[in-house]
Amino acid sequence: MKIGIMSFAHLHAEAYIGNLRAIPGVEMIGIADDNLERGQKFARRFDAHLFPSYEALLAEEPDGVLVCSENANHRSLVEMAAGAGVHVLCEKPLATTREDAQAIIAAGRSAGVILMTAFPMRFSAPLQQLKARLDAGDLGQVYCLNTTNQGQMPIAHRRWFVDKELAGGGTMMDHIVHLADIFNWFFGRDLDSVYAQSNHILHADAVDVETGGLIMLQYANGLFMTIDSSWSKPLNYPTWGGLTMELVTERGLTVVDAFSQNLNIYRQEPPANQWAYWGSDMNQAMIEEFVAAIREGRETAVTGEDGLFALEVVLAAYESAKTNQPAQLETGN
Amino acid sequence: MRVGIVGTGFMGRTHAAGWAATPAVIGGFVGKTAVSAAELAQQTNNRTYANFDEMLADVDAVDICAPTHLHHEMVLRAAAAGKHIVCEKPLARTLEQAQEMMAACEAAGVKLLVAHVVRFFPEYALAKQKVDAGEIGETAVIRLKRGAFQPKKAADNWFVDFEKSGGMMLDLMIHDFDYARWVAGDVIQVYAKNISGSQPDAAVDHGLAILTHQNGAISHVEGSWAYPPPLFRTRLEIAGDNGLIQFDSGQMMAVGIYLHQQVEDAPDVPLPGSPLSEDPYTTQIKAFYDYLVNDKAVRVTAVDGYKALQIALAAIQSAQTGQPVKIGEALS
Repeated sequence: MKIGIMSFAHLHAEAYIGNLRAIPGVEMIGIADDNLERGQKFARRFDAHLFPSYEALLAEEPDGVLVCSENANHRSLVEMAAGAGVHVLCEKPLATTREDAQAIIAAGRSAGVILMTAFPMRFSAPLQQLKARLDAGDLGQVYCLNTTNQGQMPIAHRRWFVDKELAGGGTMMDHIVHLADIFNWFFGRDLDSVYAQSNHILHADAVDVETGGLIMLQYANGLFMTIDSSWSKPLNYPTWGGLTMELVTERGLTVVDAFSQNLNIYRQEPPANQWAYWGSDMNQAMIEEFVAAIREGRETAVTGEDGLFALEVVLAAYESAKTNQPAQLETGN
Repeated sequence: MRVGIVGTGFMGRTHAAGWAATPAVIGGFVGKTAVSAAELAQQTNNRTYANFDEMLADVDAVDICAPTHLHHEMVLRAAAAGKHIVCEKPLARTLEQAQEMMAACEAAGVKLLVAHVVRFFPEYALAKQKVDAGEIGETAVIRLKRGAFQPKKAADNWFVDFEKSGGMMLDLMIHDFDYARWVAGDVIQVYAKNISGSQPDAAVDHGLAILTHQNGAISHVEGSWAYPPPLFRTRLEIAGDNGLIQFDSGQMMAVGIYLHQQVEDAPDVPLPGSPLSEDPYTTQIKAFYDYLVNDKAVRVTAVDGYKALQIALAAIQSAQTGQPVKIGEALS
């Protein structure tokens, strides 16, 4: 099976290329990038073939591609790949506007190709264990959740992450989608309303997008939860950030710190303290799911519709932060 | 100064230990029952009064550790008798009550204090001090948690009577509403949800609130009467544009003792407890003594108690209506 990578704008591509190469029977045919300098840099770093254009990559007739462009450019690349009959794994968020996300889904559907949204938390071993306990009814009825997906302000990783046009926003666009998708996975999509407050105090001089965000979601059945999406981890924090959930249920309290599988390392020289992760590689499991779905000719565990749902939550959060009122969700189903 | 203590439950006992560490003389106690008052009086070598009026006639100040719905009447009577007052949090059950209490104390020329003890816990006081010193820059996002089980009472559990206590949001979350306001200033909008609003039949309560401060900071406040006893956890996180302060009672544990025990062994009311040379409740009472007797500045005033009450009542209203609630004009 031949897989290529379209754009190295998103840093996750740096992990995915290794994930692809680790799968028996998968040939990582190479990468293409509309930013030639960026393409050359990563082709060199990962010893990968660099196609002169996306068209040239697609002309090799890959079975699938990973779209890792800037968020706002997902649509054009997915449409191009799907138009060529190639299966697509698209980085999250699926798009920055509802219109683009719907067009992406339509492109996949009309071409009859797989469209998967890259939500790696679905493949997190701790979260899969939690999902199993929830499904088994061990925790009883779920009443509410207090969740966080905080991180460092990502300008050092990629400048476009803090560009309103290319990223679609700041910390809310960056960090709501993972938890929104986890809620979709655990509890479905019957969401009533979203309330959000954001601010621009952290890194105010460095970026002009929101850097702090608190969000409250209300499901139709009474379930409610908050998300803290802030870029509130200082730049010298021992790790990039994290994802935590505390579930209050009929049976008690369940605490999840999804990335709390680290060695704590202290050194004489900077970085003085770092966390070295030893947990299971969820990116690997996600890429394997994409490959397995292509092999088996089936839907992926995470679809384009899931990507659209998470985006709807983000868009509702932006609307609420603007009006200071809860935003009703248009697409509960 | 002679002080009389009203209420002989957990808080009355705790405050009695605090007053015992000051130069004040404990005149005695009034309890809901003569037996409870007599028991505590005996333990502390003090007397009991037959009733509140008899206490008022004998003391210079009263410390009201009675259930929330009784604060209003007791404060008015103490003020009319010209006595200084320490009142447990929340200051009152309603804003109207609180306004009347504050006006009555001002008119009578007596001092009114409200016991927001979290401001005297060293971890919370130090975090506030670090923020004020500018060590983490401008405050952007605050996260506060106070999670425990529902308070128990052998009889007449007023905590679980919403009309009397205001429920978990007024009784418990008010600690962190006050703390958030202490750190980041006045709050202009509150949005909150709780289990008792979303699942009225549930046996527990748990609330989540988002506060918007006037200066643009935002706070996430979590309170719980849903944890299995004896679990009690507090957590604070303050993110500023130049750093982050974190405290988690579940991780910062100077002594951990895990005994084979029954759930029934849990205390009636969870008591935060990192080992300290001085109990924060005592630190608080000492500060109150210095204010009442020596006019020394105190870190929490009746106005603070009023504003914390405003936020808590706004959170309750938001949880009931599903709408954000704007905080009214600040009481000057």
